[in-house]
Amino acid sequence: MTPEIDTIKRAVECILLVGGGPVRLQQLRTALEAPDNVITAALAELARDYDGHGLHIQEVAGGYQLVTRPAYADYVQRFLQLEHQETLTRAQLETLAIVAYRQPVTRAEIDAVRGVRSDYVLDRLLDRYLIREVGRRPTLGRPILYGTTEAFLRHFGLRDLSSLPPLANHDPRNALEAVAPQELSVSS
Amino acid sequence: MTNETRLPYSVKVPQFEGPLELLLSLAQQGQVDLLEIPLGQIAEDYLSATRSGIDLEQATEVLWTLAAMIEMKSRLLVPKPEPTEAVVVEDQASDLQEQLEERLQEYRSFKEVASALRALEEYQNRVFSRATTGDPEAVVLEGVTIDDLFRAFQRVLERAREDVGEIATEEIKVADRMDTILALLTAHPEGVEFGALFGQASSTLEVIVTFLALLELIKDRRVRAQQAGAFAPITLAMTP
Repeated sequence: MTPEIDTIKRAVECILLVGGGPVRLQQLRTALEAPDNVITAALAELARDYDGHGLHIQEVAGGYQLVTRPAYADYVQRFLQLEHQETLTRAQLETLAIVAYRQPVTRAEIDAVRGVRSDYVLDRLLDRYLIREVGRRPTLGRPILYGTTEAFLRHFGLRDLSSLPPLANHDPRNALEAVAPQELSVSS
Repeated sequence: MTNETRLPYSVKVPQFEGPLELLLSLAQQGQVDLLEIPLGQIAEDYLSATRSGIDLEQATEVLWTLAAMIEMKSRLLVPKPEPTEAVVVEDQASDLQEQLEERLQEYRSFKEVASALRALEEYQNRVFSRATTGDPEAVVLEGVTIDDLFRAFQRVLERAREDVGEIATEEIKVADRMDTILALLTAHPEGVEFGALFGQASSTLEVIVTFLALLELIKDRRVRAQQAGAFAPITLAMTP
Protein backbone atom coordinates (compact mmCIF):
# COMPACT_ATOMS: atom_id res chain seq x y z
CA MET A 1 0.00 0.00 0.00
CA THR A 2 1.31 3.41 -0.92
CA PRO A 3 1.56 5.95 1.87
CA GLU A 4 -0.78 8.17 -0.08
CA ILE A 5 -3.65 5.70 0.08
CA ASP A 6 -3.02 5.29 3.78
CA THR A 7 -3.46 9.02 4.28
CA ILE A 8 -6.54 9.10 2.08
CA LYS A 9 -8.03 6.20 3.99
CA ARG A 10 -7.64 7.96 7.34
CA ALA A 11 -8.93 11.20 5.88
CA VAL A 12 -11.99 9.35 4.56
CA GLU A 13 -12.57 7.97 8.02
CA CYS A 14 -12.43 11.46 9.51
CA ILE A 15 -14.82 12.84 6.94
CA LEU A 16 -17.32 10.01 7.44
CA LEU A 17 -17.26 10.60 11.19
CA VAL A 18 -17.74 14.33 10.84
CA GLY A 19 -20.26 13.95 8.02
CA GLY A 20 -22.57 11.81 10.10
CA GLY A 21 -25.04 11.18 7.28
CA PRO A 22 -24.31 9.71 3.88
CA VAL A 23 -21.26 11.36 2.28
CA ARG A 24 -21.22 11.23 -1.51
CA LEU A 25 -18.24 10.17 -3.54
CA GLN A 26 -18.23 13.58 -5.15
CA GLN A 27 -17.96 15.26 -1.74
CA LEU A 28 -15.03 13.01 -0.87
CA ARG A 29 -13.41 13.82 -4.21
CA THR A 30 -13.68 17.55 -3.56
CA ALA A 31 -12.37 17.29 -0.03
CA LEU A 32 -9.58 14.83 -0.68
CA GLU A 33 -8.52 16.05 -4.10
CA ALA A 34 -7.86 12.46 -5.06
CA PRO A 35 -9.03 10.37 -8.02
CA ASP A 36 -12.12 8.19 -7.59
CA ASN A 37 -10.25 4.91 -7.84
CA VAL A 38 -7.97 5.90 -4.98
CA ILE A 39 -10.96 6.93 -2.87
CA THR A 40 -12.93 3.75 -3.53
CA ALA A 41 -9.82 1.71 -2.80
CA ALA A 42 -9.38 3.62 0.43
CA LEU A 43 -13.06 3.01 1.28
CA ALA A 44 -12.67 -0.71 0.63
CA GLU A 45 -9.55 -0.80 2.77
CA LEU A 46 -11.30 1.10 5.52
CA ALA A 47 -14.31 -1.24 5.33
CA ARG A 48 -11.96 -4.17 5.88
CA ASP A 49 -10.35 -2.37 8.82
CA TYR A 50 -13.74 -2.12 10.47
CA ASP A 51 -14.15 -5.89 10.53
CA GLY A 52 -14.62 -6.87 14.14
CA HIS A 53 -15.43 -3.32 15.19
CA GLY A 54 -18.65 -1.82 16.48
CA LEU A 55 -18.78 0.57 13.56
CA HIS A 56 -18.89 -0.15 9.88
CA ILE A 57 -19.41 1.65 6.62
CA GLN A 58 -22.80 1.45 4.99
CA GLU A 59 -23.68 2.57 1.49
CA VAL A 60 -26.91 4.50 1.82
CA ALA A 61 -28.84 7.08 -0.18
CA GLY A 62 -26.09 7.56 -2.73
CA GLY A 63 -23.33 7.98 -0.17
CA TYR A 64 -21.14 6.33 2.44
CA GLN A 65 -22.05 6.44 6.07
CA LEU A 66 -20.22 5.48 9.23
CA VAL A 67 -22.79 3.64 11.34
CA THR A 68 -23.08 1.36 14.33
CA ARG A 69 -23.61 -2.33 13.76
CA PRO A 70 -27.17 -3.53 14.49
CA ALA A 71 -25.79 -6.08 16.95
CA TYR A 72 -25.04 -3.26 19.37
CA ALA A 73 -28.31 -1.42 18.87
CA ASP A 74 -29.58 -2.26 22.35
CA TYR A 75 -26.61 -0.58 24.01
CA VAL A 76 -26.80 2.45 21.78
CA GLN A 77 -30.51 2.76 22.32
CA ARG A 78 -30.10 2.58 26.07
CA PHE A 79 -27.38 5.20 25.94
CA LEU A 80 -29.50 7.51 23.81
CA GLN A 81 -32.49 6.70 26.01
CA LEU A 82 -34.46 5.95 22.92
CA GLU A 83 -37.66 4.07 23.33
CA HIS A 84 -38.78 1.68 20.65
CA GLN A 85 -38.03 3.14 17.23
CA GLU A 86 -41.19 4.17 15.45
CA THR A 87 -41.87 1.78 12.59
CA LEU A 88 -44.31 2.21 9.77
CA THR A 89 -47.71 0.56 9.81
CA ARG A 90 -48.50 -2.16 7.35
CA ALA A 91 -50.76 0.15 5.35
CA GLN A 92 -48.00 2.76 5.24
CA LEU A 93 -45.47 0.19 4.05
CA GLU A 94 -47.79 -1.07 1.33
CA THR A 95 -48.51 2.43 0.13
CA LEU A 96 -44.85 3.35 0.29
CA ALA A 97 -44.01 0.26 -1.75
CA ILE A 98 -46.47 1.29 -4.44
CA VAL A 99 -45.05 4.81 -4.53
CA ALA A 100 -41.49 3.49 -4.61
CA TYR A 101 -42.02 1.13 -7.53
CA ARG A 102 -44.56 3.12 -9.51
CA GLN A 103 -43.24 6.63 -9.06
CA PRO A 104 -44.23 9.15 -10.15
CA VAL A 105 -47.68 7.95 -9.20
CA THR A 106 -51.04 9.59 -8.45
CA ARG A 107 -53.25 9.08 -5.43
CA ALA A 108 -55.92 7.45 -7.62
CA GLU A 109 -53.44 4.92 -8.99
CA ILE A 110 -52.38 3.99 -5.47
CA ASP A 111 -56.02 3.64 -4.42
CA ALA A 112 -56.66 1.38 -7.40
CA VAL A 113 -53.91 -1.02 -6.39
CA ARG A 114 -54.84 -1.08 -2.72
CA GLY A 115 -58.58 -1.11 -3.28
CA VAL A 116 -59.06 1.50 -0.55
CA ARG A 117 -58.59 5.22 -0.22
CA SER A 118 -55.06 6.17 0.74
CA ASP A 119 -55.47 9.83 1.64
CA TYR A 120 -54.69 9.44 5.31
CA VAL A 121 -51.78 7.08 4.78
CA LEU A 122 -50.27 9.35 2.13
CA ASP A 123 -50.55 12.34 4.45
CA ARG A 124 -48.70 10.45 7.18
CA LEU A 125 -45.95 9.48 4.72
CA LEU A 126 -45.70 13.09 3.59
CA ASP A 127 -45.45 14.17 7.24
CA ARG A 128 -42.51 11.84 7.70
CA TYR A 129 -40.82 13.13 4.52
CA LEU A 130 -40.74 9.60 3.13
CA ILE A 131 -42.58 10.72 0.02
CA ARG A 132 -43.09 14.07 -1.60
CA GLU A 133 -44.97 15.73 -4.39
CA VAL A 134 -42.84 15.57 -7.49
CA GLY A 135 -45.16 17.35 -9.89
CA ARG A 136 -48.49 17.03 -11.60
CA ARG A 137 -49.60 14.78 -14.40
CA PRO A 138 -50.60 16.88 -17.40
CA THR A 139 -53.99 15.19 -17.74
CA LEU A 140 -57.52 16.07 -16.75
CA GLY A 141 -57.54 17.47 -13.22
CA ARG A 142 -53.74 17.69 -13.17
CA PRO A 143 -53.43 15.11 -10.35
CA ILE A 144 -50.48 15.40 -7.98
CA LEU A 145 -47.66 12.94 -8.59
CA TYR A 146 -45.83 11.40 -5.65
CA GLY A 147 -42.29 10.05 -5.40
CA THR A 148 -39.94 8.88 -2.69
CA THR A 149 -37.35 11.05 -0.90
CA GLU A 150 -33.77 10.63 0.23
CA ALA A 151 -35.17 10.11 3.73
CA PHE A 152 -36.95 7.07 2.29
CA LEU A 153 -33.64 5.60 1.15
CA ARG A 154 -32.11 6.29 4.55
CA HIS A 155 -35.07 4.84 6.41
CA PHE A 156 -34.61 1.51 4.66
CA GLY A 157 -30.85 1.68 4.28
CA LEU A 158 -31.06 1.62 0.50
CA ARG A 159 -28.20 2.78 -1.71
CA ASP A 160 -30.58 4.01 -4.39
CA LEU A 161 -33.94 3.11 -5.93
CA SER A 162 -32.38 0.38 -8.04
CA SER A 163 -31.45 -1.49 -4.87
CA LEU A 164 -35.10 -1.87 -3.87
CA PRO A 165 -36.10 -5.50 -3.43
CA PRO A 166 -37.28 -6.78 -6.80
CA LEU A 167 -41.03 -6.63 -7.30
CA ALA A 168 -42.02 -10.23 -7.86
CA ASN A 169 -45.18 -11.02 -9.72
CA HIS A 170 -45.25 -14.72 -9.25
CA ASP A 171 -42.76 -16.03 -6.77
CA PRO A 172 -43.03 -14.33 -3.37
CA ARG A 173 -39.62 -15.65 -2.40
CA ASN A 174 -37.97 -13.40 -4.96
CA ALA A 175 -38.91 -10.33 -3.01
CA LEU A 176 -37.57 -11.68 0.24
CA GLU A 177 -34.22 -12.78 -1.12
CA ALA A 178 -33.15 -9.22 -1.66
CA VAL A 179 -33.48 -8.36 1.99
CA ALA A 180 -29.87 -9.08 2.88
CA PRO A 181 -28.52 -5.93 4.50
CA GLN A 182 -26.10 -3.90 2.49
CA GLU A 183 -22.69 -3.73 3.97
CA LEU A 184 -20.04 -2.06 1.99
CA SER A 185 -18.30 -4.60 -0.16
CA VAL A 186 -16.11 -2.63 -2.49
CA SER A 187 -13.67 -4.92 -4.17
CA SER A 188 -12.12 -2.78 -6.88
CA MET B 1 -41.86 -13.06 8.53
CA THR B 2 -41.95 -11.71 12.02
CA ASN B 3 -44.77 -9.31 11.24
CA GLU B 4 -47.02 -11.87 9.57
CA THR B 5 -48.63 -12.92 12.81
CA ARG B 6 -52.18 -12.28 11.69
CA LEU B 7 -54.01 -15.25 10.27
CA PRO B 8 -56.14 -14.75 7.19
CA TYR B 9 -59.84 -14.62 7.94
CA SER B 10 -61.38 -18.07 7.73
CA VAL B 11 -64.97 -18.81 6.88
CA LYS B 12 -67.04 -21.74 7.99
CA VAL B 13 -70.16 -22.54 6.01
CA PRO B 14 -71.54 -25.99 5.19
CA GLN B 15 -70.10 -25.84 1.66
CA PHE B 16 -66.64 -24.50 2.49
CA GLU B 17 -64.31 -24.17 5.40
CA GLY B 18 -61.03 -22.27 5.17
CA PRO B 19 -59.43 -18.91 4.37
CA LEU B 20 -61.70 -16.48 2.56
CA GLU B 21 -59.01 -15.70 0.01
CA LEU B 22 -58.74 -19.39 -0.84
CA LEU B 23 -62.49 -19.46 -1.46
CA LEU B 24 -62.11 -16.61 -3.94
CA SER B 25 -59.29 -18.24 -5.84
CA LEU B 26 -61.13 -21.57 -5.92
CA ALA B 27 -64.21 -19.79 -7.23
CA GLN B 28 -62.08 -18.06 -9.85
CA GLN B 29 -60.68 -21.40 -10.94
CA GLY B 30 -64.18 -22.78 -11.13
CA GLN B 31 -63.52 -25.39 -8.46
CA VAL B 32 -66.22 -24.02 -6.22
CA ASP B 33 -69.69 -23.12 -7.39
CA LEU B 34 -70.37 -19.68 -5.98
CA LEU B 35 -74.09 -20.20 -6.50
CA GLU B 36 -73.99 -22.69 -3.66
CA ILE B 37 -72.01 -20.47 -1.32
CA PRO B 38 -74.14 -18.30 1.00
CA LEU B 39 -72.15 -15.07 0.69
CA GLY B 40 -74.74 -13.28 2.80
CA GLN B 41 -74.09 -15.63 5.67
CA ILE B 42 -70.32 -15.18 5.33
CA ALA B 43 -70.77 -11.45 5.50
CA GLU B 44 -73.07 -11.79 8.53
CA ASP B 45 -70.56 -14.04 10.27
CA TYR B 46 -67.74 -11.61 9.64
CA LEU B 47 -69.83 -8.72 10.93
CA SER B 48 -70.58 -10.55 14.16
CA ALA B 49 -66.91 -11.51 14.44
CA THR B 50 -65.94 -7.83 14.23
CA ARG B 51 -68.16 -6.97 17.19
CA SER B 52 -65.44 -8.20 19.52
CA GLY B 53 -62.83 -6.01 17.83
CA ILE B 54 -61.91 -5.09 14.30
CA ASP B 55 -58.61 -5.31 12.46
CA LEU B 56 -58.85 -2.67 9.75
CA GLU B 57 -56.28 -4.36 7.54
CA GLN B 58 -58.21 -7.57 7.69
CA ALA B 59 -61.53 -5.81 7.23
CA THR B 60 -60.18 -4.24 4.05
CA GLU B 61 -59.15 -7.58 2.68
CA VAL B 62 -62.37 -9.31 3.67
CA LEU B 63 -64.42 -6.52 2.13
CA TRP B 64 -62.41 -6.64 -1.07
CA THR B 65 -62.59 -10.39 -1.36
CA LEU B 66 -66.29 -10.53 -0.56
CA ALA B 67 -67.04 -7.75 -3.02
CA ALA B 68 -65.14 -9.60 -5.73
CA MET B 69 -67.11 -12.77 -5.04
CA ILE B 70 -70.42 -10.93 -4.91
CA GLU B 71 -69.66 -9.43 -8.30
CA MET B 72 -68.78 -12.84 -9.72
CA LYS B 73 -71.86 -14.40 -8.21
CA SER B 74 -74.18 -11.68 -9.45
CA ARG B 75 -72.89 -12.29 -12.94
CA LEU B 76 -73.57 -15.98 -12.56
CA LEU B 77 -77.13 -15.25 -11.43
CA VAL B 78 -77.95 -13.19 -14.50
CA PRO B 79 -80.01 -15.36 -16.90
CA LYS B 80 -77.93 -17.13 -19.49
CA PRO B 81 -77.95 -15.25 -22.77
CA GLU B 82 -78.87 -16.71 -26.13
CA PRO B 83 -76.38 -19.27 -27.42
CA THR B 84 -75.33 -16.96 -30.24
CA GLU B 85 -74.01 -14.46 -27.75
CA ALA B 86 -72.68 -17.04 -25.37
CA VAL B 87 -69.15 -16.94 -26.72
CA VAL B 88 -68.87 -13.20 -26.29
CA VAL B 89 -70.24 -13.25 -22.76
CA GLU B 90 -67.91 -16.04 -21.79
CA ASP B 91 -65.03 -13.88 -22.94
CA GLN B 92 -66.25 -11.06 -20.79
CA ALA B 93 -66.54 -13.31 -17.79
CA SER B 94 -63.03 -14.61 -18.22
CA ASP B 95 -61.85 -11.04 -18.80
CA LEU B 96 -63.34 -10.08 -15.50
CA GLN B 97 -61.76 -13.04 -13.81
CA GLU B 98 -58.47 -12.17 -15.39
CA GLN B 99 -58.80 -8.60 -14.22
CA LEU B 100 -59.60 -9.69 -10.70
CA GLU B 101 -56.76 -12.15 -10.78
CA GLU B 102 -54.37 -9.51 -12.07
CA ARG B 103 -55.39 -6.97 -9.48
CA LEU B 104 -55.09 -9.46 -6.66
CA GLN B 105 -51.74 -10.57 -7.98
CA GLU B 106 -50.54 -7.01 -8.26
CA TYR B 107 -51.71 -6.19 -4.76
CA ARG B 108 -50.08 -9.34 -3.40
CA SER B 109 -46.75 -8.54 -4.99
CA PHE B 110 -46.81 -5.11 -3.35
CA LYS B 111 -47.66 -6.72 -0.03
CA GLU B 112 -44.70 -9.05 -0.40
CA VAL B 113 -42.40 -6.20 -1.21
CA ALA B 114 -43.82 -4.33 1.79
CA SER B 115 -42.75 -7.27 3.95
CA ALA B 116 -39.29 -7.09 2.46
CA LEU B 117 -39.21 -3.37 3.21
CA ARG B 118 -40.28 -4.13 6.77
CA ALA B 119 -37.24 -6.36 7.18
CA LEU B 120 -35.00 -3.60 5.84
CA GLU B 121 -36.66 -1.13 8.18
CA GLU B 122 -36.11 -3.42 11.16
CA TYR B 123 -32.46 -3.74 10.25
CA GLN B 124 -31.98 -0.05 9.66
CA ASN B 125 -33.78 0.84 12.87
CA ARG B 126 -30.91 -0.81 14.70
CA VAL B 127 -28.31 1.19 12.84
CA PHE B 128 -27.22 4.54 14.18
CA SER B 129 -25.14 7.25 12.62
CA ARG B 130 -23.90 10.43 14.14
CA ALA B 131 -26.56 12.41 12.30
CA THR B 132 -29.45 10.63 13.97
CA THR B 133 -28.18 11.74 17.37
CA GLY B 134 -27.08 15.15 16.19
CA ASP B 135 -28.76 18.45 15.70
CA PRO B 136 -32.50 17.76 15.56
CA GLU B 137 -32.96 20.87 13.47
CA ALA B 138 -30.97 19.32 10.69
CA VAL B 139 -33.83 17.03 9.69
CA VAL B 140 -36.46 19.72 9.50
CA LEU B 141 -35.97 20.12 5.77
CA GLU B 142 -35.45 16.47 5.05
CA GLY B 143 -36.35 15.56 1.50
CA VAL B 144 -37.18 19.11 0.60
CA THR B 145 -35.37 21.05 -2.07
CA ILE B 146 -35.22 24.77 -2.66
CA ASP B 147 -37.57 24.21 -5.59
CA ASP B 148 -40.11 22.59 -3.27
CA LEU B 149 -39.91 25.49 -0.87
CA PHE B 150 -40.34 27.94 -3.69
CA ARG B 151 -43.32 26.06 -5.08
CA ALA B 152 -44.88 25.70 -1.64
CA PHE B 153 -44.48 29.42 -1.09
CA GLN B 154 -46.13 30.11 -4.43
CA ARG B 155 -49.03 27.87 -3.48
CA VAL B 156 -49.45 29.70 -0.19
CA LEU B 157 -49.49 32.99 -2.06
CA GLU B 158 -52.09 31.66 -4.48
CA ARG B 159 -54.21 30.36 -1.65
CA ALA B 160 -53.91 33.65 0.21
CA ARG B 161 -55.18 35.43 -2.88
CA GLU B 162 -58.12 33.06 -3.23
CA ASP B 163 -59.03 33.33 0.43
CA VAL B 164 -59.18 37.11 0.55
CA GLY B 165 -62.99 37.00 0.78
CA GLU B 166 -62.83 34.61 3.68
CA ILE B 167 -60.54 36.55 5.94
CA ALA B 168 -62.63 37.46 8.95
CA THR B 169 -63.62 41.09 8.72
CA GLU B 170 -63.04 43.19 11.78
CA GLU B 171 -66.28 43.28 13.65
CA ILE B 172 -67.86 46.71 13.82
CA LYS B 173 -70.70 47.16 16.28
CA VAL B 174 -73.44 49.75 15.79
CA ALA B 175 -73.30 50.60 19.52
CA ASP B 176 -69.56 51.29 19.31
CA ARG B 177 -70.05 53.45 16.29
CA MET B 178 -72.80 55.39 18.08
CA ASP B 179 -70.35 56.16 20.87
CA THR B 180 -67.79 57.33 18.31
CA ILE B 181 -70.32 59.65 16.70
CA LEU B 182 -71.42 61.05 20.06
CA ALA B 183 -67.80 61.67 21.05
CA LEU B 184 -67.18 63.46 17.76
CA LEU B 185 -70.28 65.61 18.10
CA THR B 186 -69.47 66.44 21.74
CA ALA B 187 -66.06 67.64 20.64
CA HIS B 188 -67.65 69.80 17.94
CA PRO B 189 -70.72 71.52 19.52
CA GLU B 190 -71.05 73.72 16.43
CA GLY B 191 -71.95 70.64 14.38
CA VAL B 192 -70.28 68.26 11.98
CA GLU B 193 -70.90 67.71 8.30
CA PHE B 194 -72.45 64.43 7.33
CA GLY B 195 -69.49 63.49 5.15
CA ALA B 196 -67.05 63.93 8.01
CA LEU B 197 -68.54 60.94 9.77
CA PHE B 198 -67.31 58.72 6.98
CA GLY B 199 -63.96 60.37 6.51
CA GLN B 200 -61.93 57.50 7.84
CA ALA B 201 -64.36 54.71 6.97
CA SER B 202 -62.27 52.05 5.27
CA SER B 203 -64.87 49.57 4.09
CA THR B 204 -68.41 49.40 2.82
CA LEU B 205 -69.40 47.61 5.97
CA GLU B 206 -68.00 50.41 8.10
CA VAL B 207 -69.95 52.99 6.10
CA ILE B 208 -73.14 51.01 6.53
CA VAL B 209 -72.63 50.51 10.26
CA THR B 210 -71.85 54.20 10.74
CA PHE B 211 -74.99 55.14 8.86
CA LEU B 212 -77.09 52.74 10.93
CA ALA B 213 -75.58 54.20 14.11
CA LEU B 214 -76.47 57.67 12.94
CA LEU B 215 -80.07 56.66 12.16
CA GLU B 216 -80.30 55.10 15.59
CA LEU B 217 -79.08 58.30 17.26
CA ILE B 218 -81.51 60.42 15.26
CA LYS B 219 -84.38 58.10 16.11
CA ASP B 220 -83.43 58.36 19.78
CA ARG B 221 -83.45 62.14 19.33
CA ARG B 222 -79.94 62.43 20.66
CA VAL B 223 -78.62 63.80 17.39
CA ARG B 224 -80.13 66.41 15.20
CA ALA B 225 -79.70 66.55 11.43
CA GLN B 226 -80.18 69.86 9.62
CA GLN B 227 -80.08 70.73 5.98
CA ALA B 228 -80.21 74.28 4.73
CA GLY B 229 -81.80 73.29 1.46
CA ALA B 230 -81.99 70.57 -1.14
CA PHE B 231 -78.54 69.17 -1.97
CA ALA B 232 -76.97 71.33 0.70
CA PRO B 233 -74.65 69.61 3.12
CA ILE B 234 -76.32 67.96 6.09
CA THR B 235 -75.09 69.17 9.43
CA LEU B 236 -75.25 66.97 12.47
CA ALA B 237 -75.18 68.17 16.04
CA MET B 238 -76.04 67.02 19.54
CA THR B 239 -79.60 67.65 20.54
CA PRO B 240 -79.52 70.56 23.00
